Amino acid sequence: MPSDTPTGLLSIAPARSTSTPAWFTTRSNAAWAEFQSLPLPGLKDEHWRYSNAKKIELADHAPAKTPTAEQSKAALAATEGLKERAARFVFVNDTLVESDTSGLPAGVVCVSFEEALKSHEAALQQHFMKGDLPLGSGKFAALHLAHVKAGTVIIVPKNVVIEKPVEIFHWVVGDHAAIFPHTLVVTGDHAQVSVVDHYRSLEGEGGLSIAIADLVGGSGSQITYAACQELADDAQALHLSSITAGRDASVKSFQVQLGAAFSRSESVSDLVGQGARSDMLSVSLPIGDQIVDQRTLQRHKAPHATSDLLYKNALYGKSRTVFSGLIIVDEGAHYTDAYQTCRNLLNSNDAEANSLPGLEINADQVKCSHGSTSGPIADEELFYLKARGIPDIESRRLIVEGFLADVIERFGNSEVLDTLVARIDEKLVRAE
Amino acid sequence: MVSAPDILEPVETEAPDISDIRVDSVGDFTFPERNKFDSGFGITEKTIDYIADVKGDPDWIREFRHKALKVFQEKPMPTHWATKDLENIKFDEFRYYLSDGQKPKRSWDEVPEDVKKTFDRLGIPEQERKFLAGVEAQYDSEAAYSNIKAAVEEQGVIFVNSTEGLHKYPEIFKKWFGKVIPTGDNKFSALNSAVFSGGSFIYVPPGVKVKHPLQAYFRINSEQFGQFERTLIIADEGAEVMYMEGCTAPKFETATLHSAVVELVAMKGAKIQYVTVQNWSSNVFNLVTKRGIAHEDAEVRWIDCNIGSRLTMKYPGVIMKGRRARGEVISIALANSGQHQDTGAKMVHAADETTSNVISKSISIGEGRATYRGLVHIPKHLKGCKNNTECDALLINPNSRTDTYPAISVRGNQHATQHEASVSQVSADQIFYLMQRGLTEAEAMSLSVNGFINDLVKEFPMEYSVELKRLIDLEMEGSVG
Amino acid sequence: MSLEIKDLHAQIPGREILKGLNLTINPGEVHAIMGPNGSGKSTLSKVLCGHEDYEVTSGEVLLDGQNILDMAVDERSRAGLFLAFQYPHEIPGVSNANFLRAALKARLPKGEDIDAVKFYKQLYARMDQLEMDRSFTSRSVNEGFSGGEKKRNEILQLMMLEPKYAILDETDSGLDIDALKIVSRGVNAMRSENRGFLVITHYQRLLNYIQPDIVHVLMDGQIVHTGGKDLALKLEEKGYDWVKEEMLAAAA
Repeated sequence: MPSDTPTGLLSIAPARSTSTPAWFTTRSNAAWAEFQSLPLPGLKDEHWRYSNAKKIELADHAPAKTPTAEQSKAALAATEGLKERAARFVFVNDTLVESDTSGLPAGVVCVSFEEALKSHEAALQQHFMKGDLPLGSGKFAALHLAHVKAGTVIIVPKNVVIEKPVEIFHWVVGDHAAIFPHTLVVTGDHAQVSVVDHYRSLEGEGGLSIAIADLVGGSGSQITYAACQELADDAQALHLSSITAGRDASVKSFQVQLGAAFSRSESVSDLVGQGARSDMLSVSLPIGDQIVDQRTLQRHKAPHATSDLLYKNALYGKSRTVFSGLIIVDEGAHYTDAYQTCRNLLNSNDAEANSLPGLEINADQVKCSHGSTSGPIADEELFYLKARGIPDIESRRLIVEGFLADVIERFGNSEVLDTLVARIDEKLVRAE
Repeated sequence: MVSAPDILEPVETEAPDISDIRVDSVGDFTFPERNKFDSGFGITEKTIDYIADVKGDPDWIREFRHKALKVFQEKPMPTHWATKDLENIKFDEFRYYLSDGQKPKRSWDEVPEDVKKTFDRLGIPEQERKFLAGVEAQYDSEAAYSNIKAAVEEQGVIFVNSTEGLHKYPEIFKKWFGKVIPTGDNKFSALNSAVFSGGSFIYVPPGVKVKHPLQAYFRINSEQFGQFERTLIIADEGAEVMYMEGCTAPKFETATLHSAVVELVAMKGAKIQYVTVQNWSSNVFNLVTKRGIAHEDAEVRWIDCNIGSRLTMKYPGVIMKGRRARGEVISIALANSGQHQDTGAKMVHAADETTSNVISKSISIGEGRATYRGLVHIPKHLKGCKNNTECDALLINPNSRTDTYPAISVRGNQHATQHEASVSQVSADQIFYLMQRGLTEAEAMSLSVNGFINDLVKEFPMEYSVELKRLIDLEMEGSVG
Repeated sequence: MSLEIKDLHAQIPGREILKGLNLTINPGEVHAIMGPNGSGKSTLSKVLCGHEDYEVTSGEVLLDGQNILDMAVDERSRAGLFLAFQYPHEIPGVSNANFLRAALKARLPKGEDIDAVKFYKQLYARMDQLEMDRSFTSRSVNEGFSGGEKKRNEILQLMMLEPKYAILDETDSGLDIDALKIVSRGVNAMRSENRGFLVITHYQRLLNYIQPDIVHVLMDGQIVHTGGKDLALKLEEKGYDWVKEEMLAAAA
């Protein structure tokens, strides 16, 4: 029975070592106070419409314990990763257990968060969690800031192009363990980088990941980022990403949600420079009782910028999705092109898709549109495949796979694509 | 603050003098006030009793009003999603009941001369009445004139004001009143339920198809006076009816509140079309709740055009309760500087194979703001439901604003929903092309804007579509060049 | 009485396109302008009509003695200048008939309206000439029209508005031979001693059907060569290089 005394993450104050820089300890402590003072978002909160903040069970979770040697070994053995990569980091329970940065060009900063606190204070002070988190998870973000100690900081200097992806694995192990991974990517003018974060469960009941990614694209730079959440079926996941695209910068971000009982993502793109571009992409494949909750915001603050959002959900079983997206075109952000599309493919009679696509336009010479569709596989499509001799179940799988792969292809790296399609296929088999 | 008077003595005011009429522009004039009953400022239990006494309400209505008042007082303003402008409504500064204390008029000859003048100014042409099956026009709170053509009456159609409806036809009235829109649906439906007066009650018997549209004109004509009409339309099995409602209002110094409730019931196979042209003056808060129930094979269509008011919040809805029921909302909104048209549609699918269609087009001019809010709900274990929603916004000036907030909820793999929205401007190339053919920039813009909404204007009855185009041209004046 | 273009210079920001163009079109004459891509042909048509993308830096354009460069697009149109667009714009929701009525009404004194019966009689006669189906009157202007239908619609407007001077900008582009014949027939029907034409084209083919009195070659923003209708044939056969060579020779 729950008692009135707060437990778990509600009461366990974060512990900071004495070597932590003073400014960070101050921010972290302030965040802990803020977390405690902020109320949990209620059912009437527009940012939580069709969802419920209580699905993230703070009282039942505690910060993950330092992994044992066996746990670390097991996690490393389970980390299959990309063959062609520029760097790889493996964290278990917010503890770095392996890092390999041998494939990086000179001059690139690519270090663990803990290391960055010592070696790249200035960059952290400038970019770390500077976004306003307008999509409803202020309380959870404060908790993240209070506890954060793991993750990766990547700073790519001007004109440096990193061809192969940087890959980061976050494993959670142990019953009701919570992790708080952070990713910060900053690119200088005309730099290029792609980063893939994986969130996975090794063993134990009901893990929780409250992760944040800050992506800051300098002039003419390109960032490609994917957050692949494949936690255990009884886990809970919250992923907040904040994207800032400068002049002529192009940032592509992916949310791949395959795991967790409740998985929420909040993605904000700020187009702050002329000619900036943000592609916001997502696929999810909820089955059973899984809930996928997606909130997005495309904020056009500069003229001649483009944002293009495509979210696709294939639903099975009694799963539910909530997509809530908003495009805001500020005064003066003329010649904006902003698009937002959410497509839900309903594959069972008990699945439920909720869409809240929104627009707020305050500028001139703007091209904006949004579209949202929800429905089953089209009969004609299915008929066509079956007419070619493909059995019903195979036909459906092909169609769903194609439906989702269409989004993943935009990542532009064939090994990442193959890996993700393989994971989707595995899950599709489970869905059936 | 003035509270409701304790006595029921009619308050006599001076007879009107036509020369007092102040004419500014079309639909923008006022007549001297002439009210026999006045509930005073603000709303309390006493106000409710005063209204119930004046109107001779039966006990169940009096009780209904009192319950509604409590709900109204308890409900917070919906500002967690709606505009903060609602906070500028000062409920204590309105009068909630005014009447000339006269029975509704039965023949045209009995209608007071100044009221007739008002109709003339509104441009209801004499010959048009021939085509209209009946006219129920509301002057302040009470209907000043009501007339149903003999032919319609012979078919058994009831077309009276709501007060007469509840007194004369309690068995039909009571069955449906407040059933489509419960008192507590929202703060303003509760307010209406507490103080309603006027509005129409229509019953169309089974199989009767009313050929010509039934029409009502509503006006506000007393400063700081909120109008709370209540309309209930029931089309029995296989019946068909179209109802038209047009509003114009004179300009006032202070804000005016209009909060109507309209309930439609389409029985099996029936069809109701409800047409509104809203052109309140730009100081009116227009907060209206409109909803219809469509039973098996029935159809409810809302055809809605909002041009006037300071703030309109109106989301006509259809609950598709019977198999194969259909719901439709066709909506045009025009928001000029100082205006916020917050409109939309609610489609609740509650039976198999129900289909709904929403087409909304808005035009924002100057610093005007147009908002679309939509709700589509297809709950579990239904089959074969379909929704199509299209909303397009046109921005005319650099500071024009538009928002779109739909919510679509679908359960199960046997339904299809599709929502599309776009925001655009009239392109410079289009204006160049038209000007090369000799049109001025303003004419080119007007033609383009009319083109944008043309397909929807066609859905309005002829006499309305002509007036609509004229009103839109009027609003467009001065927006270019 | 003539359309007189004198030393016309026009530019888009950062680039001068017309560099001192001179041309006089008298009523009754059909002038053709030919020239390679990028020579300024389409710019000329837009500048004459007053498109705001182009800035006139010097020169004059006189329409029957009146300088039109200070006039707005619509004023020039009402003064008698018509442009058949290369890419006619689609106007959603506005029917062809309403559009033409609005354009004709704009030419009447304020408060006057056109006679609907006469209007439709004339409209149908003109449409018959252009072999246009009656359904075009109620269809939205150019919306969903094929390339040929759009061009025919441009000529229909020319016929209805009866301008003093008409500019045809690449009217032949995208037309098959049958459509080209129909369009040309329409244009020829409008030829009269009171009306001047400026036919801008990239191909000589059109000039077989609309026979010009005078042919000009436009290169690099100037008219560099003028001749009779044989010039068009020569250009078709030999291209533009010889004109360039002649220019260089003349300059040397």
